[in-house]
Formats: sequence, C-alpha cells, structure tokens
Amino acid sequence: MSRVNPGAYRAASARTIQNEPGVRDSVGSATRTFDANRVRAFGQIDSERWRDWARDVKTHALTNLDRYLEEAEMRLLANGAHVHWAESADDALRVLADVVARHDIRSAVKGKSMLTEELGVNDHLEQLGVRVRETDLGEYIIQLLGEPPSHIVGPAIHKSLDDCRRLFHAHLGTAPDATPETLAAAARDALRQDFLAADLGISGGNFLAADTGTVALIENEGNIRLSTSLPRVHVAFVGIEKIVPRLEDLSGLLQLTARAATGQPIGNFVSLIQGPKTNEEVDGPEEVHVVLVDNGRTELLADDVAWEALRCVRCGACLNICPVYRQTGGHAYGWTYSGPIGAIIAPGMLGLAKALPLPHASSLCGACVDVCPVRIPIPDLLLHWREQAVEEGLTTTAETIGLKAFTALAERPDAFSAAGALLRWTPWSAAGRSLPILGGWLQERSAPHPSQKSFRRLWEEGIE
Amino acid sequence: MTMRVALFATCLADQFFAEACADAVRLLRHLGVDVDFPERQTCCGQPAFNAGYKAEAARMAAHTLSVFEDAEYVVLPSGSCAGMIRSYYSEISDEGPALDLGKRTFELSQFLVHVLNVETLGRGLSGKTVAYHHGCHALRELGVDSEPIALLSGAGAQVVPWEADKECCGFGGLFSAKLPEVSAAMADRKLDTLPNVDFVTSGDGGCLLQLSGRSQRRRVGASGVTTPFRHIASALWEGVG
Amino acid sequence: MSGRDRIFARVRSALAGRDRTELPESFGEWRLKSPPVSPVEGFQALFESAGGEVVRVSDRAGAATWIARFSTDFPSVIFGEHVPAELKPDLPSVTPEVAALGLSMARGAVAETGSLLMDARDGRRAQLLAPTHVVVLDAAAVYASLREALISLKDDLPSAIGFHSGPSKSADIGQIMVRGVHGPGRVIALVIDESVIVQDHKEGIS
Ligand code: SF4
Repeated sequence: MSRVNPGAYRAASARTIQNEPGVRDSVGSATRTFDANRVRAFGQIDSERWRDWARDVKTHALTNLDRYLEEAEMRLLANGAHVHWAESADDALRVLADVVARHDIRSAVKGKSMLTEELGVNDHLEQLGVRVRETDLGEYIIQLLGEPPSHIVGPAIHKSLDDCRRLFHAHLGTAPDATPETLAAAARDALRQDFLAADLGISGGNFLAADTGTVALIENEGNIRLSTSLPRVHVAFVGIEKIVPRLEDLSGLLQLTARAATGQPIGNFVSLIQGPKTNEEVDGPEEVHVVLVDNGRTELLADDVAWEALRCVRCGACLNICPVYRQTGGHAYGWTYSGPIGAIIAPGMLGLAKALPLPHASSLCGACVDVCPVRIPIPDLLLHWREQAVEEGLTTTAETIGLKAFTALAERPDAFSAAGALLRWTPWSAAGRSLPILGGWLQERSAPHPSQKSFRRLWEEGIE
Repeated sequence: MTMRVALFATCLADQFFAEACADAVRLLRHLGVDVDFPERQTCCGQPAFNAGYKAEAARMAAHTLSVFEDAEYVVLPSGSCAGMIRSYYSEISDEGPALDLGKRTFELSQFLVHVLNVETLGRGLSGKTVAYHHGCHALRELGVDSEPIALLSGAGAQVVPWEADKECCGFGGLFSAKLPEVSAAMADRKLDTLPNVDFVTSGDGGCLLQLSGRSQRRRVGASGVTTPFRHIASALWEGVG
Repeated sequence: MSGRDRIFARVRSALAGRDRTELPESFGEWRLKSPPVSPVEGFQALFESAGGEVVRVSDRAGAATWIARFSTDFPSVIFGEHVPAELKPDLPSVTPEVAALGLSMARGAVAETGSLLMDARDGRRAQLLAPTHVVVLDAAAVYASLREALISLKDDLPSAIGFHSGPSKSADIGQIMVRGVHGPGRVIALVIDESVIVQDHKEGIS
C-alpha cells in the first residue's frame, strides 16, 4: 500500500493551506461545480425515493454478502472468467504477478480505479518490470507528476489549467500556452500508442451483479472501454462490497451514481463485462481475471455501526460538499480515500489508531447527509469512531482531563458558574497559546471576549 | 393564560453573549411571554458528545433533563444546543423524557415563528443591511432556514445574499482547536465572500465567536473585514424598534 | 483454509446476528419528473444534450443514402460485424487502428439515459478507435427505461456490452470540458424510424 499516513493530517492540511493556496482555489471551484451539477440532476428526479431505494438494495446486498459472493463467483466462472480471492493487498498483487509471469506481460494500461490505488498496483507492476500507463486523463496527469489522486472522481482537480500546460509542455512538448483541446489531443496521441501496445488492461469495478457475473464500470473518456477491450488480458480488481443482486439493479445505481458524481444522467461510457471474448466475437481480451478483494472490508463489515459505510458507491458527492475537504483536497488525508467517506472507512480498514485524527477532520456540519446517494449517515459514523477512540483511550490526556472536569462541574451548577467567572481571568493572550485546546484556538484567531457579566449575573440583577 | 418559557442560555452564550441572552428575555417578554431562567442549568453536553465522550455527555444530558423537566417550553439562543437536545438526547438518555423535552425545545427564531406565530416584530432595522449565517445544526438538524431571515426582513432589514451563507464557519466545538488551520481556512471562505453589510448575524454564538475571532485576527494582517458580528437575539430585539 | 474460505468465514461471522434485510422491488417505477413523449424522443434529447448527434430516417434505404453522403468526407472506414452490405458505403475498409470512420450497429438504446447499447459481438474496436462513430439504431429497440433494457439483455449477454451516451469527454484539465479524449469525439446515432415523416436531411450534419 502506498503512502498511508493519516496521522500527519494536521501538519499536511496546514502545509497545503499555507504553502499551496492554488490547491484550495482549484479544489474549491471544481467541487462547487460538481455539487451544482448534482443539485440540478437531483432536481430532475424524485431523489429522495431513488436514494431510499439505493440504500435498501446495497443494504440487502451487504447483509446477504456471502450468498451473493458465491453466486457471482459461480456466474463469472460459468462465463469463462477467472476468479481470485484476495484477503490483503499482498494477495491481490500476487495474483497480478502470476498473470504477468504467465503471459509475459511487458506493458499495461489502466483505467481509473481507487481500489488499485489502495492496493499499490502501479508500484508493484513497475517492480515487476511492467510499464504501466494510467489512461484516464486526470490519472495520467498525476502519474506524470508522481502524485496520488486527490479526489475519487476527479483525481487531478487540485491542478489548474496552467499546471497542466507546464506539465504537458515538459512531457509532451505542447506549446506553453496550449488550449485544453490541444493538451487533450496530445495526451490522446501518446496514450493511443500505449493502448495499442499493451498486453494487459487493468480496471477496478463499480458494481458486480451477482446473477449474471457482470462487472460494471463507469467512465466518461472511453479509456476504460479501451483498457478492457484491446489488451489480450484484462484484470479487474473488485472490492467485495461492490456486489448487487441483479443486473437490473444497476439501472438505479448507475443513474444515481452519475447524478451524484457529476450531474450526468449516466456515465458517458458504461462497460458491462461478463468474461473473455467468445467464439462469436472478433475482438476483446482472451482472458479475464476478476480479483475479489477484502483488504480490510470484512473488518469494516464486522463493526455494528460503521458497516453502513460499505454501501458507498464512490461518487465523491460528500467530498464535493464538504467544507473541510474543500480547504485542502485529498492529499492531506494521507491515504487513498479522502474527505468524509475516507474519514469513516479509514478506522475500519486501517485500524482506528492509525486512522486518527481523520474522524475528527469534520466540524459535523452535516452537509454530506443531504447528498449521499446511498444515505450513509456520515456524521453518525464520525461520532461513532470518536466514541470508539475515547473508549480505547486514544485521546490526549489534556483533553480527557479537561472534558471530565468540565462534566463534573456541569453537574454542580454553583461550581459551574463560579468556574465560568474564571473565564474573565483566562490568559487569553500570549500565555494561553501554550495551553491545550485554548492554544489551538488562539493560534488562528483573536481572543474571544467574555461578556462583562455573565447572563446569570444579569438575570440576578434583573433585566429591564 | 400567559405562555411560560424557560430560557436555556447555554454555557457559551451565558459567558460570551450575556447581553444577547438578556435581549432574548426582553424580546420574549415584549411578546407577552413569561420568561424563567432555571438556575441549575449548565451545559447541554454537546462539546463532550461531539468529541466522542458519550458517557460524559449523557451525564450532562441527564442533568439538563432534570433542570427542564417541568418547563412548558425551553428556548435557546443557540441552534446547535437545541439540535443536540432534539436530535441526540434520546440516544444518550432515557428515551421517553428525552423525546418529550425535544418536543418542547426550540431555537429562538424557530420559537418566534412556529410557536408564537410572529410575523413582524417592528421596523427597528429599517435601512440596515444584514448578512445571515446559517448555523449548520439550526439549518440541518432543526430545519431553521427561512425563519430568521423572515424575522430580520420583517423588521425592515435588507438581508443581503451571501454566497457562502449555508457553508460551515469551521467552528465545530473542539474541532476548531484540534485542527485550527483547516477551521480557520473555513472561516476565511466565509469572510472572503461576505458582502458589504452593516452587520453579520446568526443564531449560534459559537459560529459568531469563530467568525469574529478570525476576522479580527485577519484585520491585524490587514485582510480582515470590519463588519460587526451580532447575535440574532440582539438584532431581533433591535428590530422591535 | 484458503483465502477464499477465510474471507467467507469473516463475512459470515460479521453478519451473524445482523438482520438480513429484504431485497426491494427493482428500480424503475418513478423515473424522471418530466418523462419524454416517446422513447425515441427521450433518447434523442439526452443523447444530444450529452454532445451526441441524432439523425432520423424512415427506412434502411434512407439510412444507406445518408451514410453514403456522409461518408464522402472520410478517407477510410471500419465496419461493425453486423453492418449489412446495403448500408456499407463505398470506402476503403481498413483496420480499426487507422480508420477515420467507424460504422456499427446498436443492439438497442435507452431513453431514460440517452445511451446506445453496443454489443461486443459487433466488434469493440470499430466502436472505440475511430475519431468519428456512426451507429445505426432501430427505433423499435429503444427501451424507455434502463431497467427494461437490462432485463432484456440478460437473456443474451456477450462478453461485454458498452453503453455509449455521447462522445468521449473529460474535464480533467483545469475543469474545462473537452471532447474526443480517447474514444470517438463525434458520435452520430442514425435512427431508423418508420414513424418518421420528414426525410429530407440536410447535407451532412456539422
Ligand atoms: S459516502 Fe456517499 S456521497 Fe460519499 S462517496 Fe460514498 S456514496 Fe458518494
């Protein structure tokens, strides 16, 4: 797994905010555009009902996961696909290594997939001596930059047009002031060669329909269709939570996901993949491998509260509306999944101690509740992990002592108001900066001014 | 029969918005309501609850439930504390009494509009331009949206559109101290988009402290706004004229 | 125990004691707030708003005429496997990698999403590689809803089905929308619709 370090969230977010103001501008404007499109697209449908339905289908699939996984496996095998089970990233990468060795793979093309990012597929392929090319334009941009994606739908939203001009000028020789069309055309030409040369196509999977053994993939550029059609071998990495019972369940899910993600009625291209090329077909991969990945998902499933996060369809709507995410983009979160969804699955998938402070990276404003197409109660899940952290003693001593003392006071009204009076003696200025909690406040803001007298005093004195 | 309201000043407003609480009392009395201030009140427990200290929050909830047991209505000059009581008390304390208290609990502007059926207060804000910040919990937990705006404009104020009026200010209780840089950047977004108005108002003291504290700090660095930040209780009392 | 068995064991232990919820009715009873007057109209409206083009002709002869005229601007073509001879224009047929024009047959279309259903049996390269893609669609094969389409596909699934709902596009460069990134930048659905009355198509469509 590459670059997992959520623990550095505070330092990383501060660094982005202070040193890279352009990131905040680009991310802010992209996410606001995404969200405005979602608002419009939700307005065209009975979104409340659609979301109820989507929640119920995904919940049903997850609470019957064993049964549907078996069914999907059976169907995929019947379709002629190879099915592999990966408990961990290492397992998944081993499957890939086998395929590479068996087919003597030299070069691979890849469609956008957060799971392969989670697994560290690119680094692994390079170690195996396979040249791997990201083919989604956004992924291509960040691959050239050597960065991870900063958003689950728009991996390069933290980059401006000028950033891309500089990058393509250096790598593809386009003019320093080239138009977006020229830049895209240059990328198309470069990537077309990669598509035609590749022996291996790699994808994720947005959904897996159990009754037909269908891996469904959503995209806008056509690169996933190409990656899964041209090379001789296709390997699809699919999280076990992606399962849906029936092929026709994709009708609601494909539409709702697109509407939530970008406001489109459906992704520009959708691939429904059953297996390898059949005898009646002239092209398509000769071998299709579907790697069903756990890698922490069953741990999340076992959590009686947080398992609901497994309904996620990775539309990014919660990132787009999140005022916290908007300040930094995704890199600050220190792992593949950022924003609200990242903060609620990290503790289940990585372990709570490792995931902190991500569950705290939210003001609990609740904006995400209104947008999630599968109605994941994100703020409740954040609270759940915070409670868990307290229970497991993963908090700072100062905070724990402070809150316990505060609570003890709050149960004794006289002592509480006496302590309140002390606020007027609090070292709001210089000295307070070194205190826990207060110091954090004062670092970025002027000291608050307590009223001259508390309301309680005013009340006792009588209000005119 | 006169309506009886117990004011829950909330720990933050008690100390930082004492005059606004007094204005809430004046306003309610002016509207013919009998206001009481149960003296054993302290904190609703929200700071602890949001930080994950459920047991501690439950103790404060139990205390608050006992304080307001007999109140006909409980009115708070805070949307987030009202939201805490209405949405979360039933999770952390006796469900029956908690739901019952929830039904009697209102944020100030919500109470004025939905219980007292106030349409206009007066014309005391004539000629004033105002920006209203929607506290997140008032907006999303309580559904308080048009109420404060109707009251402000009813009193003659011109409520000026604000692009980021429904975006979080970045306060979030302990969040503001745990992740101060992100929290401040969130406040900056609010301040950067703030229209030119006579004052900014909101129903939540926490948000006002965050916005005014950040604005004052930026002023030191010369990028700040000088607009005053006022609690809606005071703005509405002025609206009576 | 294999990895597979361990995953299943963990799934089952996670689910032990959890309610196994009901499967809801399949989706599709409550679609757009303002549904189109007919499936073809609905398909056309969405396909066009996604940047695709739609041409309607009343029969195969009309389609052949249109294709013959349209293809004069192109030096070469790649045909889908199921394109009938009568629709094939007189153009050098080349490998898909170098073809300027792709001509395919749609298996059907979906009104609700503005999608063409492309069956792998017609040839994937012809559907994907040429910069311009003309797709012949029978109006009778336009499903009102995606759900109906999926249910009907189920009986006869090839290795892959692609839904094409407009030209290839991306906003990954500075959030500015550009077309023709990987797949065809221009897609024309040529709808054969017996109910079409006006047959007089403008010279090409640009
Ligand atoms: S949590 Fe909900 S809104 Fe966020 S990415 Fe997942 S499905 Fe989309």
